[in-house]
Amino acid sequence: MPAILVLCVILFPWVGAVAVWLVRDHRPRWQHSLAVGFSLLAGICATVLVFITGSELVLSIPLGGFFGSATFRADGLGAFLALIAAGIGSLTVIFSVDYMRGQKQLGRYYFFVLFFIGAMCGLVLSNSLLMLFFFWEITALCSYALISFYNEDPKAVAGGIKALVITQLGGIGLLAGALVVYANLGTFDIDVFLSQAGEFPTAALSITGFCILAAAAAKSAQIPFFTWLPDAMEAPTPVSALIHAATMVNAGVYLLARFFPAFSVVPGWKMAVLITGMVTALLAAIMAAASVDLKRVLAYSTVSQLGYMVYAIGAGGVLASQFHLLSHAIFKALLFLAAGAVIHTIGTRDMRQMGGLGRQMPFVRNVFIVGALALAGIPLLNGFWSKELILETGLQGGPTWAFWFMAAGAGLTGLYTLRMVGMVFFGEAYKEQHVHDATMNMRIALGLLGAGTLSSWMLIGPFSQILARSAFFGEVQGISLAHMVSEITATPATWVVLILIASGGCIWLLRGRLTWLNSTLVWIGWAAEASFGFEWLNKQVVTLFNHSANILRRTQTGILNWNVLGITAGLLIVMLYLLLWN
Amino acid sequence: METTIFVWMVAIPLLASLVIYLLGRLGVQQDIIPERSGLVHWSAFVAALITWIPFVLAVRDYFEHRSGIFHIESILLAVDGLSLLMTFIVLLLGTLVILFSGQYMAGEIGEEKYYVMLLVMIGVMIGLSCAQDLFNLWVWFEAMAVSSYLLVAFYRRQPASLEAGMKYLVQSAVGSVFVLLGIAMVLAETHTLVLTQIRIAAAPSPILLAAGGLFVIGFGVKIAIVPMHTWLPDAHSQAPSGISAMLSGIVIEIGLLALLRTLSALAGVTDSWSYLLMGFGTLNMLYGNLMALRQSQVKRLLAYSSLSHIGYILLGLGIAIFSHQNGGAEGAFFHIFNHGMMKGLAFLSAGTLLYALKLSRGSHDSLVISDLAGAASRYPVPALALSIAVLGLGGLPPLAGFMSKWQIFAAGFVTQDIFVICLVVFAALNSVLSLAYYAPLVNTMYRSQPGQEVATGAKIPATMLIPLGLLASLVIVLGFWPGLMDWIILPASQSLLAGF
Repeated sequence: MPAILVLCVILFPWVGAVAVWLVRDHRPRWQHSLAVGFSLLAGICATVLVFITGSELVLSIPLGGFFGSATFRADGLGAFLALIAAGIGSLTVIFSVDYMRGQKQLGRYYFFVLFFIGAMCGLVLSNSLLMLFFFWEITALCSYALISFYNEDPKAVAGGIKALVITQLGGIGLLAGALVVYANLGTFDIDVFLSQAGEFPTAALSITGFCILAAAAAKSAQIPFFTWLPDAMEAPTPVSALIHAATMVNAGVYLLARFFPAFSVVPGWKMAVLITGMVTALLAAIMAAASVDLKRVLAYSTVSQLGYMVYAIGAGGVLASQFHLLSHAIFKALLFLAAGAVIHTIGTRDMRQMGGLGRQMPFVRNVFIVGALALAGIPLLNGFWSKELILETGLQGGPTWAFWFMAAGAGLTGLYTLRMVGMVFFGEAYKEQHVHDATMNMRIALGLLGAGTLSSWMLIGPFSQILARSAFFGEVQGISLAHMVSEITATPATWVVLILIASGGCIWLLRGRLTWLNSTLVWIGWAAEASFGFEWLNKQVVTLFNHSANILRRTQTGILNWNVLGITAGLLIVMLYLLLWN
Repeated sequence: METTIFVWMVAIPLLASLVIYLLGRLGVQQDIIPERSGLVHWSAFVAALITWIPFVLAVRDYFEHRSGIFHIESILLAVDGLSLLMTFIVLLLGTLVILFSGQYMAGEIGEEKYYVMLLVMIGVMIGLSCAQDLFNLWVWFEAMAVSSYLLVAFYRRQPASLEAGMKYLVQSAVGSVFVLLGIAMVLAETHTLVLTQIRIAAAPSPILLAAGGLFVIGFGVKIAIVPMHTWLPDAHSQAPSGISAMLSGIVIEIGLLALLRTLSALAGVTDSWSYLLMGFGTLNMLYGNLMALRQSQVKRLLAYSSLSHIGYILLGLGIAIFSHQNGGAEGAFFHIFNHGMMKGLAFLSAGTLLYALKLSRGSHDSLVISDLAGAASRYPVPALALSIAVLGLGGLPPLAGFMSKWQIFAAGFVTQDIFVICLVVFAALNSVLSLAYYAPLVNTMYRSQPGQEVATGAKIPATMLIPLGLLASLVIVLGFWPGLMDWIILPASQSLLAGF
């Protein structure tokens, strides 16, 4: 039964993708229906799968010879992430029916969205390092294709290629880690590796650990690899919600969680993870506070929240990080889709050209506020519980100074969230324009996500049980809802953080009176807008390659004499080498 | 038995080429056969199909009783795993290219000579892959070179084609002279030309070292190893697209086969051969990628990309010889096969678009990337095929290129040698770099508004679309089930390492 479900969860979206492509672009109604149908099927299968998780292998497909077998395992961690991918995937597809109405090349859009959903499910359910990397790269391909969906727009194309190259570079870390494991174990199986990690030579284990950290950092847009995510906002907004908020960027966090049992013993690994998360969370929050593009604020906020999840893993709190992953997937998808509804009707992403939209778009305003409250970490929404759980775990498992940085980040989150809500939905309208509220399909998706934001925290009990039953070798223990509520409300840390969040909000509200603060912080604002020099670094690398390529062009002289000289020069070098080496 | 099968494998294309030449000349001179009847094209296609029969028999023969060395008069031949692999690729690509070329070459001056030379090239490449002594290896090699010169310079009224052909001829001749020098040195030192006997008689000596170096450089011209590669961008971009596919897909790899045969004979002389292969491989990868980055002409871009893929193949083979393990050789041979299919697909789909946008209007201009704007809207099949080809070349799953690159990289890590591992990481970085020039091609084709060129382009005949569909399907299938090619890859790698 689990085997069939695993196959369905991966193949239903893929069959749907091919079906949408075959139906051709002159029948858009068919394309919309097929896409929604197949993604819902996958969502249903993923839901059933969550209830029958176990830690044994469920499926094994031989690939031939050296490549071993494609093995799959439906444990708690994998199944829950597959549910997020398929579930939120189907909601974004439903949203897309309205958002992408009338767009050209719908077939290409739905093909890659569905292809992505299947690949993401395959990624988290894989037990073979080869297949993990296989699906990992497919998600990168889909992300590139969807970011550059509007091929006429050079910014979109550039953003897509940038995302592809940066995540691929990180992927080399995963490649190296996987192959070091293969070289030492002779197999690609993850369960074999996790159970035998203790007998690995320490140098090999350390290298693997840090390579995997690099891969995770690139995929989850952590420092120093985050520059691709803000540019990825050129994608159609449902894509931003699905891939760049709820699922693909979580693949890095998944990777860290999956391999945590093996690498937690590597000296310095956990601290490196913790610091990466911490620095990212803080810097990204600052960049979010300095951004005027609505989707960029949400993008930086995603980077920041992923930083929280990574920080939690570094402090040993795998349950906390996955719980926040769940909350974040729901509320961030909600925020992106609601932002999409706004952008769809108003035609711009610049928040300075919005304002006062709440009056004409009450539904969108309300759901957006729900999502924003969750992001800021206000009780009783899901974001509050999971963020507090992370901070508490961080305080117990990591250094106290790190906790204070993260708490400051929470305060900043409150600030930029309130700023975002205020600039878009409240205040003076920028200009007289007619905007319409969300349409039916959009409302379905937004409503369901809003309900999830209000209630998903109550699932901590069964959630932790499922995770505890996964292949974690005792890292995670189940906790009940009552236990979590009492623990969080009782800890002083919670109240400290809430005060900081409230302060963040107040600082924004009183910004008119705090001009002295403004002038001292303006240099941070400049640095944030220049993404603290990382964009500049990117540009330098690209320029270096283009420059070297240009210089190298002179070697292709087109003159036969030079060509033959090249041949004889080659001969001389080879002869010299052979002479000296022998 | 094997002699007969071998003779038929080589004789059918060669004899057919003779017949087709006569048919073509009679048709032109005596007006017996109406123009544009496609007789020459279809005869060539049938001949290629018939050549599969002895090939299948040879495969069955090999798996039943692992045939050994046989001889025809004094030349020694053997049909081993390597020969089977190369012959398979030659026949597969050759048949599809002949099918493709029907409409592409219709009405060209000297059309029958195209098919003649193509069939001759196919026949002699099969012969080359079976050669077991240095003399007949060199003869087949030269025959292949001569037929390819004529094919590269096919458009003899175009100055660019002639120039490309001349440069190829001169540089290839320089390479052949070096090879001949090397053969002479080997003969002087070991008094034999038979590969197996040379292996026994070879002992570390400066003359044999020099001979090996001459072989590396001499054959290296043909394989397009940097810095002997300068003929390749011109030749592969000026040749008719079917020939570009053949050149990049199999001709340079056959050159590599010739080098491997000769180096295996000199295996006992030194360990340095593997280092040379790995070193040149690294150079090729980086150089090919950087040069392709600045290209705006599609076929030139693909030609430079062939340089970098030869780099991966050399790296894989170097790793295999260095570590005496099969992994690298399996990966390299799998990549030779995949590259042949993917690069063949790329050149054929670029050729289809070149035909539709330029050639059908009598223009011999080159295809540039901006011409492809919005191509997918009017030409969905070639656009999809080109996208599959280049994304596969970039190593993205679920396409074949990913699997073969993974195999080469794994072999490198298995050696546990830090130097080799660094080279593998460098190769992986190069693979990522290549995406920077492959991806813009795909993006340009899938714009929603067709550009000027695309909007006024011609229709595409079915004979061009069928090879595209076949190759694209193969690339996708191998991306999911790489083990499907094990039946021919494993014997090839075993044959190679048996030699070393």
